Amino acid sequence: MSSTAKRSWTAAARERAVGALPPDKLLPDSQPAYMASWIYIFGVLSLVSLVVIIASGSILSLKGPGWWHFTGIGHFFNSIHMWSVELFFFFMVIHLWGKYWMAAWRGGRGRVWMTGAVAFVIAVPCALTGYVSQQNFDSQWISTQAKDAMNAAGIGSFFNLTNFGQMYSYHVFLLPLAVVAIAAAHILLVRKHGIVPPFRLADRTGAPGSHAEAPSSGVPGERSPAREPKPDLDPSDHAS
Amino acid sequence: MIAAVFNLNHPANTVHWHFFVMSVSNVIVIVIMLIVFVLAILVPFPGHGRRERAK
Repeated sequence: MSSTAKRSWTAAARERAVGALPPDKLLPDSQPAYMASWIYIFGVLSLVSLVVIIASGSILSLKGPGWWHFTGIGHFFNSIHMWSVELFFFFMVIHLWGKYWMAAWRGGRGRVWMTGAVAFVIAVPCALTGYVSQQNFDSQWISTQAKDAMNAAGIGSFFNLTNFGQMYSYHVFLLPLAVVAIAAAHILLVRKHGIVPPFRLADRTGAPGSHAEAPSSGVPGERSPAREPKPDLDPSDHAS
Repeated sequence: MIAAVFNLNHPANTVHWHFFVMSVSNVIVIVIMLIVFVLAILVPFPGHGRRERAK
Protein backbone atom coordinates (compact mmCIF):
# COMPACT_ATOMS: atom_id res chain seq x y z
CA MET A 1 0.00 0.00 0.00
CA SER A 2 2.72 2.41 0.98
CA SER A 3 4.65 1.74 -2.23
CA THR A 4 1.49 2.41 -4.26
CA ALA A 5 0.87 5.63 -2.33
CA LYS A 6 4.43 6.82 -2.92
CA ARG A 7 3.95 6.52 -6.66
CA SER A 8 0.83 8.69 -6.63
CA TRP A 9 1.11 12.37 -7.52
CA THR A 10 -0.52 13.41 -4.24
CA ALA A 11 2.17 11.64 -2.21
CA ALA A 12 4.91 13.08 -4.42
CA ALA A 13 3.45 16.60 -4.09
CA ARG A 14 3.14 16.20 -0.31
CA GLU A 15 6.70 14.96 0.09
CA ARG A 16 8.02 17.73 -2.09
CA ALA A 17 6.04 20.41 -0.21
CA VAL A 18 7.05 19.12 3.23
CA GLY A 19 10.64 18.77 2.05
CA ALA A 20 10.77 22.36 0.85
CA LEU A 21 8.81 23.79 3.77
CA PRO A 22 8.78 21.58 6.86
CA PRO A 23 6.19 22.73 9.46
CA ASP A 24 8.75 24.29 11.82
CA LYS A 25 10.09 26.38 8.93
CA LEU A 26 6.64 27.30 7.61
CA LEU A 27 5.34 28.41 11.02
CA PRO A 28 8.38 29.18 13.20
CA ASP A 29 7.97 30.12 16.87
CA SER A 30 11.12 32.24 17.02
CA GLN A 31 12.91 34.69 14.77
CA PRO A 32 16.59 35.64 14.36
CA ALA A 33 17.93 38.26 16.78
CA TYR A 34 18.66 40.72 13.97
CA MET A 35 14.92 41.06 13.32
CA ALA A 36 14.62 43.20 16.46
CA SER A 37 14.31 46.34 14.31
CA TRP A 38 11.33 48.36 13.15
CA ILE A 39 12.46 48.09 9.53
CA TYR A 40 11.42 44.41 9.53
CA ILE A 41 7.75 45.09 10.29
CA PHE A 42 6.77 46.75 7.00
CA GLY A 43 6.36 43.47 5.13
CA VAL A 44 3.77 42.19 7.56
CA LEU A 45 2.11 45.62 7.68
CA SER A 46 1.73 45.42 3.89
CA LEU A 47 0.23 41.96 4.31
CA VAL A 48 -2.26 43.16 6.94
CA SER A 49 -3.26 46.04 4.67
CA LEU A 50 -3.85 43.56 1.84
CA VAL A 51 -6.14 41.50 4.08
CA VAL A 52 -8.17 44.63 4.94
CA ILE A 53 -8.29 45.56 1.24
CA ILE A 54 -9.63 42.14 0.24
CA ALA A 55 -12.17 42.05 3.10
CA SER A 56 -13.53 45.58 2.54
CA GLY A 57 -13.47 45.13 -1.26
CA SER A 58 -15.48 41.90 -0.96
CA ILE A 59 -18.17 43.76 0.99
CA LEU A 60 -18.20 46.62 -1.56
CA SER A 61 -18.56 44.19 -4.48
CA LEU A 62 -21.48 42.45 -2.74
CA LYS A 63 -23.36 45.69 -2.08
CA GLY A 64 -22.67 47.67 -5.28
CA PRO A 65 -22.14 51.33 -6.30
CA GLY A 66 -25.54 52.56 -5.05
CA TRP A 67 -24.63 51.38 -1.54
CA TRP A 68 -21.10 52.78 -1.42
CA HIS A 69 -22.21 56.16 -2.83
CA PHE A 70 -25.52 56.84 -1.08
CA THR A 71 -25.43 55.25 2.39
CA GLY A 72 -23.44 56.18 5.45
CA ILE A 73 -22.14 52.66 6.08
CA GLY A 74 -21.34 52.40 2.34
CA HIS A 75 -19.24 55.56 2.58
CA PHE A 76 -17.49 54.08 5.61
CA PHE A 77 -16.52 50.85 3.84
CA ASN A 78 -15.57 52.78 0.71
CA SER A 79 -13.20 54.85 2.85
CA ILE A 80 -11.84 51.76 4.62
CA HIS A 81 -11.08 50.25 1.21
CA MET A 82 -9.43 53.40 -0.15
CA TRP A 83 -7.31 54.14 2.93
CA SER A 84 -6.18 50.51 3.27
CA VAL A 85 -4.93 50.76 -0.33
CA GLU A 86 -3.07 53.98 0.55
CA LEU A 87 -1.49 52.26 3.56
CA PHE A 88 -0.70 49.15 1.47
CA PHE A 89 1.40 51.23 -0.92
CA PHE A 90 2.85 53.33 1.92
CA PHE A 91 4.10 50.22 3.79
CA MET A 92 5.10 48.38 0.61
CA VAL A 93 7.31 51.25 -0.58
CA ILE A 94 9.12 51.44 2.80
CA HIS A 95 9.45 47.62 2.74
CA LEU A 96 10.95 47.93 -0.76
CA TRP A 97 13.39 50.64 0.33
CA GLY A 98 14.50 48.61 3.36
CA LYS A 99 15.01 45.42 1.36
CA TYR A 100 16.78 47.27 -1.46
CA TRP A 101 19.34 48.85 0.87
CA MET A 102 19.99 45.54 2.64
CA ALA A 103 20.28 43.78 -0.78
CA ALA A 104 17.58 41.27 0.04
CA TRP A 105 18.37 39.13 -2.99
CA ARG A 106 21.53 37.84 -1.26
CA GLY A 107 21.93 34.20 -0.25
CA GLY A 108 19.89 32.64 -3.04
CA ARG A 109 16.91 34.92 -2.39
CA GLY A 110 16.56 36.12 -5.98
CA ARG A 111 13.06 34.67 -6.34
CA VAL A 112 11.99 36.30 -3.07
CA TRP A 113 13.09 39.69 -4.39
CA MET A 114 11.52 39.13 -7.82
CA THR A 115 8.13 38.01 -6.49
CA GLY A 116 8.04 41.08 -4.23
CA ALA A 117 8.90 43.37 -7.13
CA VAL A 118 6.28 41.73 -9.38
CA ALA A 119 3.65 42.03 -6.61
CA PHE A 120 4.35 45.77 -6.46
CA VAL A 121 4.12 46.12 -10.25
CA ILE A 122 0.81 44.21 -10.41
CA ALA A 123 -0.62 46.18 -7.48
CA VAL A 124 -0.29 49.46 -9.42
CA PRO A 125 -2.84 48.59 -12.18
CA CYS A 126 -4.96 46.90 -9.51
CA ALA A 127 -5.24 50.28 -7.73
CA LEU A 128 -5.70 52.19 -11.00
CA THR A 129 -8.62 50.02 -12.10
CA GLY A 130 -10.14 50.63 -8.66
CA TYR A 131 -9.90 54.40 -9.04
CA VAL A 132 -11.66 54.21 -12.44
CA SER A 133 -14.35 51.87 -11.04
CA GLN A 134 -15.68 54.32 -8.47
CA GLN A 135 -18.60 55.39 -10.69
CA ASN A 136 -18.28 59.11 -10.01
CA PHE A 137 -16.77 62.24 -11.59
CA ASP A 138 -13.39 61.39 -10.08
CA SER A 139 -13.29 58.06 -11.91
CA GLN A 140 -14.39 59.73 -15.15
CA TRP A 141 -11.57 62.25 -14.87
CA ILE A 142 -8.95 59.60 -14.06
CA SER A 143 -10.11 57.22 -16.83
CA THR A 144 -10.12 59.88 -19.54
CA GLN A 145 -6.66 61.04 -18.47
CA ALA A 146 -5.23 57.52 -18.10
CA LYS A 147 -6.59 56.30 -21.44
CA ASP A 148 -4.20 58.69 -23.15
CA ALA A 149 -1.31 57.02 -21.34
CA MET A 150 -2.55 53.60 -22.46
CA ASN A 151 -2.92 54.79 -26.06
CA ALA A 152 0.53 56.38 -25.97
CA ALA A 153 1.94 53.07 -24.74
CA GLY A 154 0.21 51.23 -27.60
CA ILE A 155 -2.01 49.06 -25.40
CA GLY A 156 -5.17 51.17 -25.54
CA SER A 157 -6.99 48.58 -27.65
CA PHE A 158 -6.50 45.98 -24.91
CA PHE A 159 -7.19 48.16 -21.85
CA ASN A 160 -10.03 50.63 -22.37
CA LEU A 161 -10.10 52.65 -19.17
CA THR A 162 -13.46 54.22 -20.06
CA ASN A 163 -15.04 50.74 -20.18
CA PHE A 164 -16.42 50.27 -16.66
CA GLY A 165 -17.26 46.58 -17.15
CA GLN A 166 -13.76 45.71 -18.28
CA MET A 167 -12.05 47.77 -15.58
CA TYR A 168 -14.33 46.41 -12.84
CA SER A 169 -13.61 42.81 -13.90
CA TYR A 170 -9.89 43.52 -13.78
CA HIS A 171 -10.25 45.22 -10.41
CA VAL A 172 -12.42 42.72 -8.52
CA PHE A 173 -11.13 39.46 -9.99
CA LEU A 174 -8.15 39.19 -12.32
CA LEU A 175 -5.67 41.61 -10.73
CA PRO A 176 -6.52 40.84 -7.06
CA LEU A 177 -6.13 37.15 -7.86
CA ALA A 178 -2.70 37.88 -9.31
CA VAL A 179 -1.67 40.07 -6.35
CA VAL A 180 -2.80 37.51 -3.76
CA ALA A 181 -1.16 34.63 -5.65
CA ILE A 182 2.17 36.40 -6.05
CA ALA A 183 2.06 37.66 -2.43
CA ALA A 184 1.43 34.09 -1.23
CA ALA A 185 4.37 32.85 -3.31
CA HIS A 186 6.50 35.68 -1.86
CA ILE A 187 5.64 34.73 1.72
CA LEU A 188 6.28 31.01 1.13
CA LEU A 189 9.66 31.84 -0.43
CA VAL A 190 10.50 34.08 2.54
CA ARG A 191 9.71 31.18 4.88
CA LYS A 192 11.77 28.79 2.74
CA HIS A 193 14.88 30.98 2.52
CA GLY A 194 14.57 32.84 5.84
CA ILE A 195 14.59 36.60 6.45
CA VAL A 196 17.61 38.25 4.86
CA PRO A 197 20.19 39.22 7.49
CA PRO A 198 21.81 42.67 7.63
CA PHE A 199 25.25 43.18 6.12
CA ARG A 200 27.97 41.99 8.44
CA LEU A 201 29.81 44.80 10.17
CA ALA A 202 33.16 43.19 9.31
CA ASP A 203 32.35 43.44 5.60
CA ARG A 204 31.70 47.16 5.97
CA THR A 205 34.64 48.10 8.21
CA GLY A 206 37.18 45.40 7.44
CA ALA A 207 37.47 44.71 11.15
CA PRO A 208 38.17 41.01 11.82
CA GLY A 209 35.75 39.13 14.01
CA SER A 210 32.90 41.63 13.77
CA HIS A 211 30.58 38.99 12.45
CA ALA A 212 28.82 38.06 15.66
CA GLU A 213 25.77 40.26 15.18
CA ALA A 214 24.72 38.86 11.85
CA PRO A 215 24.18 35.24 11.00
CA SER A 216 24.76 34.55 7.36
CA SER A 217 21.81 32.51 6.31
CA GLY A 218 18.73 33.93 7.95
CA VAL A 219 17.90 30.53 9.42
CA PRO A 220 16.87 30.97 13.08
CA GLY A 221 19.63 30.02 15.49
CA GLU A 222 22.24 29.52 12.80
CA ARG A 223 25.54 31.40 13.12
CA SER A 224 28.07 32.01 10.38
CA PRO A 225 31.77 31.40 10.68
CA ALA A 226 34.09 34.41 10.96
CA ARG A 227 35.11 34.62 7.32
CA GLU A 228 33.70 32.75 4.37
CA PRO A 229 34.18 33.21 0.66
CA LYS A 230 30.43 33.89 0.30
CA PRO A 231 29.26 34.98 3.75
CA ASP A 232 25.66 35.63 2.69
CA LEU A 233 25.12 32.35 0.91
CA ASP A 234 22.93 29.80 2.60
CA PRO A 235 23.90 26.29 1.47
CA SER A 236 20.39 25.05 2.19
CA ASP A 237 19.02 27.47 -0.42
CA HIS A 238 20.50 25.36 -3.14
CA ALA A 239 19.47 21.99 -1.82
CA SER A 240 16.40 21.71 -4.03
CA MET B 1 -18.59 67.79 7.80
CA ILE B 2 -15.01 66.50 7.73
CA ALA B 3 -14.50 67.94 4.24
CA ALA B 4 -15.04 71.40 5.71
CA VAL B 5 -11.70 71.11 7.53
CA PHE B 6 -9.93 71.33 4.17
CA ASN B 7 -11.18 73.56 1.36
CA LEU B 8 -11.11 71.33 -1.74
CA ASN B 9 -12.93 73.78 -4.05
CA HIS B 10 -9.83 74.81 -5.97
CA PRO B 11 -7.36 73.22 -8.38
CA ALA B 12 -4.71 71.02 -6.73
CA ASN B 13 -1.57 72.79 -5.53
CA THR B 14 1.59 71.56 -7.23
CA VAL B 15 5.30 71.74 -6.55
CA HIS B 16 7.01 72.85 -9.77
CA TRP B 17 10.81 72.93 -9.77
CA HIS B 18 12.54 72.75 -13.17
CA PHE B 19 11.36 69.46 -14.74
CA PHE B 20 9.89 68.24 -11.44
CA VAL B 21 6.10 68.63 -11.16
CA MET B 22 4.13 66.91 -8.41
CA SER B 23 1.03 67.64 -6.36
CA VAL B 24 1.66 68.92 -2.84
CA SER B 25 -0.30 66.00 -1.37
CA ASN B 26 1.98 63.47 -3.11
CA VAL B 27 5.10 65.36 -1.97
CA ILE B 28 3.80 65.28 1.62
CA VAL B 29 3.17 61.52 1.46
CA ILE B 30 6.67 60.86 0.06
CA VAL B 31 8.28 63.05 2.75
CA ILE B 32 6.33 61.17 5.46
CA MET B 33 7.48 57.86 3.97
CA LEU B 34 11.10 59.04 4.11
CA ILE B 35 10.67 60.15 7.74
CA VAL B 36 9.09 56.80 8.72
CA PHE B 37 11.88 54.94 6.89
CA VAL B 38 14.59 56.82 8.80
CA LEU B 39 12.76 56.40 12.12
CA ALA B 40 12.33 52.65 11.47
CA ILE B 41 16.12 52.36 11.21
CA LEU B 42 17.05 54.63 14.11
CA VAL B 43 14.37 54.03 16.75
CA PRO B 44 15.25 51.10 19.05
CA PHE B 45 12.93 48.11 18.86
CA PRO B 46 11.21 47.22 22.17
CA GLY B 47 13.06 44.46 23.97
CA HIS B 48 16.21 44.75 21.84
CA GLY B 49 18.20 46.21 24.74
CA ARG B 50 17.12 43.38 27.06
CA ARG B 51 18.28 40.81 24.50
CA GLU B 52 21.64 42.54 24.15
CA ARG B 53 22.18 42.63 27.94
CA ALA B 54 21.15 38.98 28.23
CA LYS B 55 24.02 37.90 25.94
